[in-house]
Amino acid sequence: MKFHAKMLDVLYMREFQAIAATLAKLAKECVMLVAQEQMHLIVNEEHCSTSSPLVWVSIASKDYFPEYQMTPARPEHDLIVLVMSAMHLSRALAVLRSGSSSSVHSCKLELKQIQFPCISVIASVVSPNSSEPREVVHDVPVTVVPPSDWSSYMLPKVPNTQIVLGVPSLRLLRSLIDKLKNISPSFIFHGSTAGELNLVAESEMATITTRFSRLLLHKPDQGQSGAGAETESEIRCSVDTRKASAFFNALQLPNEEIMIGIDSERCICLQLDIRSNVVLHSILPAVCAEI
Amino acid sequence: MLTQSQYENYKLVCRLEHMKALYSSIKAICFSDFGTLHASEDGILITVEQGKSIQATLCIAPAFFAEFKVDGTPSFSVKINVLAECLSLFGLSDCSIKILYKGEGAPLLLLLEPHDDDQVSTECSIKTTNVEEQIDYDLDANSSSLNTIFMRGPDLSNIFHELDKAADEFEFTISPLKPHFKITTLGVMQAESSVEVAKSSDMVILFNCRATTVARYKSQQIKLTNKAMQVASKVAIKTDGSGLLEMHFMMQCDDQEELYVRFFITPLLEVDGN
Repeated sequence: MKFHAKMLDVLYMREFQAIAATLAKLAKECVMLVAQEQMHLIVNEEHCSTSSPLVWVSIASKDYFPEYQMTPARPEHDLIVLVMSAMHLSRALAVLRSGSSSSVHSCKLELKQIQFPCISVIASVVSPNSSEPREVVHDVPVTVVPPSDWSSYMLPKVPNTQIVLGVPSLRLLRSLIDKLKNISPSFIFHGSTAGELNLVAESEMATITTRFSRLLLHKPDQGQSGAGAETESEIRCSVDTRKASAFFNALQLPNEEIMIGIDSERCICLQLDIRSNVVLHSILPAVCAEI
Repeated sequence: MLTQSQYENYKLVCRLEHMKALYSSIKAICFSDFGTLHASEDGILITVEQGKSIQATLCIAPAFFAEFKVDGTPSFSVKINVLAECLSLFGLSDCSIKILYKGEGAPLLLLLEPHDDDQVSTECSIKTTNVEEQIDYDLDANSSSLNTIFMRGPDLSNIFHELDKAADEFEFTISPLKPHFKITTLGVMQAESSVEVAKSSDMVILFNCRATTVARYKSQQIKLTNKAMQVASKVAIKTDGSGLLEMHFMMQCDDQEELYVRFFITPLLEVDGN
């Protein structure tokens, strides 16, 4: 079993660090699925009754890593599944964030066996007053998951949604949901095919309706053909405010647009296109509205 | 969105382009559950009380609003922290706000529109309840012992910041002779500290004192003025022989007195010990 990847572009390295930092804010453990074409990072603390939602990031390996090699333990397998501390990974990558003080040339990720299996994060850094690059090495201990247990670590599927709207004001959305936390334990996403998204929070004392209008409708685009009556009606789903807020507060990425998909009364699918072929997903499950 | 004709049904309609000052003023009086709003041709008063000994009123003149229409003198109570929470929904982004009230039993409507994103708008509907009876505090303007001091807000805020935080009681002395204005803190363990401000100090804008007044107040109640003091540009301190303390906090940098918070704090009974 071998895994080795190298990043050279400063932008990509910063982005990778931001992704790891986002995940570290959400959960203790992070699952890394290494496949031939893609690398996935998954955090899922759903079962721990904490308030973070399920979040995963898929990265197209060819785009991101000029050097990318993975050899599974057996030729019939096509995956390496690793579990590590999200915080450790994020700290190991923190050097990539470095601003003006030093510049990072490259960053390597390598699966190694020291006394235990670990991912070595090796960053080559140049300080401003020296021409010699130095290497900053962090070994992040990992648990290699045997194929018999893979079924519990598989990549989540994006649920089928009736509507997907692009909201360009992520910053406003974040502060809004953060405030709604103090008003009501749950709030409702109402989507309409007219490109409107309404967030409604209700409590004994107040009802707060926020309208995002003139949004880009990403779905349904095949709507004209038949299912007229069904798409006309409003699509709605009520979610846990703390869970939603935990997701939005964790985001460390500079993107301003987020795609919000609604599967009526089942779940909200959030999708952040960090760049083409690098996508962050999250699912907020529906809760019963209390009022 | 509501059209002009629909406004006619409303008892109160006001619009504000920037709500930062309003928000920080409401935050400053957020120390109790319910606040009572009285509107009239003279503007809006929002009053909050705690116990029977402290009352804060946010006074907003009609000129503060870009648009102000009132029909009669509507009044109602709302949860003041819910109101503050609603005003801060968009965090640091500046919003324009429209406040609407239809009449008894109807909710208070707030329409918020952030300036930096015209695709987003929020409508908050806050339940209102009937007005609770309030105490009318008043200082006797003709009293020979009416003392008034105007001070610069940031300076006074600094003074209070440096006072003993653990103190139990504050004693205010205002006198025509030295030390003019003195604040003494009295701690649980008989610890005392005091600050004196001479009337010639740069901090003092106006000093009008005919007779010496001395009164003690609970430090917890004085501390409730903290938030208002931190953002005030100018503070007026008034008291008379009865010891009732009236403080005005002007919330705007310029000299317009369109927005201020008024506190009334009752003194502690004099314990002579003999």
